[in-house]
Amino acid sequence: MTKKAGRRSLVTLTTAALALSLLAGCGGNNNGGNSANGANSGEGGNAGTPAATESASTAAPAETGIDTSKKVELQFYMLGDAPKDLPIIQDEINKMAQEELNATVKFNYTSWTDWDQKYKLLLSSGQAIDLIFTADWTQYQSYAKRGAFLAIDDLLPKAAPELQKFVPESMWEDVKVDGKIYTVPATYKEYVTNGFVYREDLRKKYNLPVPKDLASYEAYMDGIVANEPDLMPMSLNSDIGNNLHYIYTELNKMVGALPYGMGVKYESPTTVYSYWGSDEQKEELKTMKRWADKGFIPKNVLNIKDTMQDPITSGKAASMFGDNPTRYNDMKMKISTTHPEWELAYSPFGLTTGYATPVHPIHNGFAIPKSSKNPERALAFYEKLVLDKRYNLLTQYGIEGKNYTVENGYYKLVGTSTSNGFSREGMNGWAWRNPEYMLFDQGFDGVKAIFDELDKIQKPDLFLGFAEDYSSYQAEKAVLEQVEKQYLFPLQAGLVEDIDKGLDTFLQKAKQAGLEKIQAEWTKQWNAYVAEKGIK
Amino acid sequence: MRQRTRKTGTPLAIELPVQGGGPAASPLGAGTIKKKKKGFLHELIHNRVLFLMLLPTLLFFLVNSYFPMVGVYYAFTQFDFNSGLFDAPFVGFKNFEFLWKSGTLVKLTLNTIGYNLAFILLGNVLAIVCAILLSELRVKWFKKLTQSIMFLPYFVSFVILSVIVYNVFNYDSGFLNTLLARFGAGPVDVYNKPLVWIFLIILFYLWKNLGYSMVIYLAAITGISDEYYEAAKIDGAHIFQRIWYITVPMLKSTFVVLLLFSLGSIMKGQFDLFYQLIGNNGVLYNTTDILDTYVFRSLKVTFDIGMATAAGLYQSLFGFILIMTVNYIIRKINDDYALF
Repeated sequence: MTKKAGRRSLVTLTTAALALSLLAGCGGNNNGGNSANGANSGEGGNAGTPAATESASTAAPAETGIDTSKKVELQFYMLGDAPKDLPIIQDEINKMAQEELNATVKFNYTSWTDWDQKYKLLLSSGQAIDLIFTADWTQYQSYAKRGAFLAIDDLLPKAAPELQKFVPESMWEDVKVDGKIYTVPATYKEYVTNGFVYREDLRKKYNLPVPKDLASYEAYMDGIVANEPDLMPMSLNSDIGNNLHYIYTELNKMVGALPYGMGVKYESPTTVYSYWGSDEQKEELKTMKRWADKGFIPKNVLNIKDTMQDPITSGKAASMFGDNPTRYNDMKMKISTTHPEWELAYSPFGLTTGYATPVHPIHNGFAIPKSSKNPERALAFYEKLVLDKRYNLLTQYGIEGKNYTVENGYYKLVGTSTSNGFSREGMNGWAWRNPEYMLFDQGFDGVKAIFDELDKIQKPDLFLGFAEDYSSYQAEKAVLEQVEKQYLFPLQAGLVEDIDKGLDTFLQKAKQAGLEKIQAEWTKQWNAYVAEKGIK
Repeated sequence: MRQRTRKTGTPLAIELPVQGGGPAASPLGAGTIKKKKKGFLHELIHNRVLFLMLLPTLLFFLVNSYFPMVGVYYAFTQFDFNSGLFDAPFVGFKNFEFLWKSGTLVKLTLNTIGYNLAFILLGNVLAIVCAILLSELRVKWFKKLTQSIMFLPYFVSFVILSVIVYNVFNYDSGFLNTLLARFGAGPVDVYNKPLVWIFLIILFYLWKNLGYSMVIYLAAITGISDEYYEAAKIDGAHIFQRIWYITVPMLKSTFVVLLLFSLGSIMKGQFDLFYQLIGNNGVLYNTTDILDTYVFRSLKVTFDIGMATAAGLYQSLFGFILIMTVNYIIRKINDDYALF
């Protein structure tokens, strides 16, 4: 009898535990990573305060530098995939850093798969990180605003005085968020504005117009469809927003990739209007519908997961609506080795719009997260990475003679990109490029030519310095983004038969999500920004 | 044995002292509760070895499932890089706003439950049918072969499945449209037809999971003693009668247990399946969006721990209520089949 009772309560207990675990499991998943947060952010705070107090004394010349008596390991985080030879490079770097800074560094990479989530997790889980890549496309401004990074204004003169002098004052000014510096900007000047990428050999063969604006681009694609029915006229994937919509608006002189259907033209940055529902948007949707009907946009475009560039380099697509000069050049180089008979050409939007904006300093940078245990050493190390030629060349190009050689001042890869364990800028070191040490591939002369051309019409980027604070409409924002995906993307991809009706549905759903509140708040913040920076 | 004692219908509390062998001769009444406590303590000592063996499991759940539940508090706070869990500003139900603000919460919940019900019911019924058919097969090699073939899709990852599905249904060069063109029919734009996907998703779920759940039932059938069948045969029952009156009733408890287990996660859906097959295709969201995919997409863009926890909490709470209700109903109908 006793045995039976024991077994039964055992069964009851285990099943109860199991059942409850179902409930607990869900909660657990979301919070597993956070428990460490409290402890770490506390330490981050502590690490920040001594620096702040010490800085008071550094008002006097701070030649003393930083305290390097304790050996530390710096955690360095970069996006993308690590090069094969990274361990070798890391060892080399550590030999020098050990001696000069009494520190070693561990280079960590997120890989490109789901990098955005990993990035967000890295910052919000409170994991100890000393240096992390920042860019406008990783939401530097909003993270800085919400306090994810350490303000380095006071740290700079102490830990990296040379670096502070090296980066122009105007750039430090540009990366400021709420009056504080949170990232070290890259000083290399480049353009990441878009331009039409197209197969020149096909254009010549069928005597098609050079894509210069929407009309000529459309005519070019018409010709491709008529003559090369097996070829996709343009490369596209499911990211309609970035690959169709924002490129279209860039051609239409929007000040940048504006969210929430806001409209601000480059010529009139103080005038904010609602792009959604405007005639201008209807024109865009009509164009896309026409393109879809003509077969430029594949019917299942929303399910295509390819990268944008692969179909071009593999010869499946004839053109790209827009890409930046550097990426265009990469494709061109790739094709020149695999299919020398193909020819790729480029016509930058700047020639149509009449201006081009060089990259904003926010576009590439490195910040010290709040969770960092060694902010001083991290900054000192970063200074080495940028300014010390040995560190810089090693992390940008690998080991000379083994990974690359220099011929007539040009960079030359040893072997091929697959056999070589460290290709040019293999560590994705865009942020610590130093224009004085930079080596270029001979093929890059093409990009330089484009840059020179764009230099003639350059105008400053007005948009990237704007740090949006969405904390007051976070819920609305999350909902709106879903509404966009569900109702706007199909419209922007030309998949909806009745544009007016589709647009009405979308606008109605967007209003329901709180569009008006978001737009009002955004407009307020934009106006404040424009006034603060004195943009007219 | 267990069935007999339970069928009396008396509550557990009253029975315990009797079974515990303690001084249980006293009549029922006010003293019952006190005795129950004593009974448990007594049992704890009495079965200490068994309880000791249970300890690791309890610890496992405590550490992995109960302690992290503290984090549920995040659902009511505004995440801040500068503060820890308990000093983050309390915002009440603000984090839940994004769930109902869209007006899609009802749709999402219904989709989630609808798909899961289809998965659970269709999946189990088909698995039972297939298991019975297979168990009646007498040719051994054919039985094993069929079983393996049905099991194989279980190992196909959803990522690969999505590639297969894409290659079958894509408009320009998909298998389906190429085939249709061969027969002179016009192409079908499957990725633009939301209704079709209800069937496709259920179909692919079954294709992938049927083999696995079938094995569970097959094992249960193997456990049924041959004597029943022999006796039935002698009584002249033909094969359908044997299946209907012996196999099916014997599988009932397995079915109920599996049902209850799956009901607990009814709010979670098959994230991989939906996410991989549908992905970014907003055209199909009306019929294919479930809570998991919606929450994932929203928070992928606006990463916020508070909102993520809020969504998780909603799912868990809903699942908890559901499993408690269903278990309660089942206990009312037949005490033996209830989980607890």
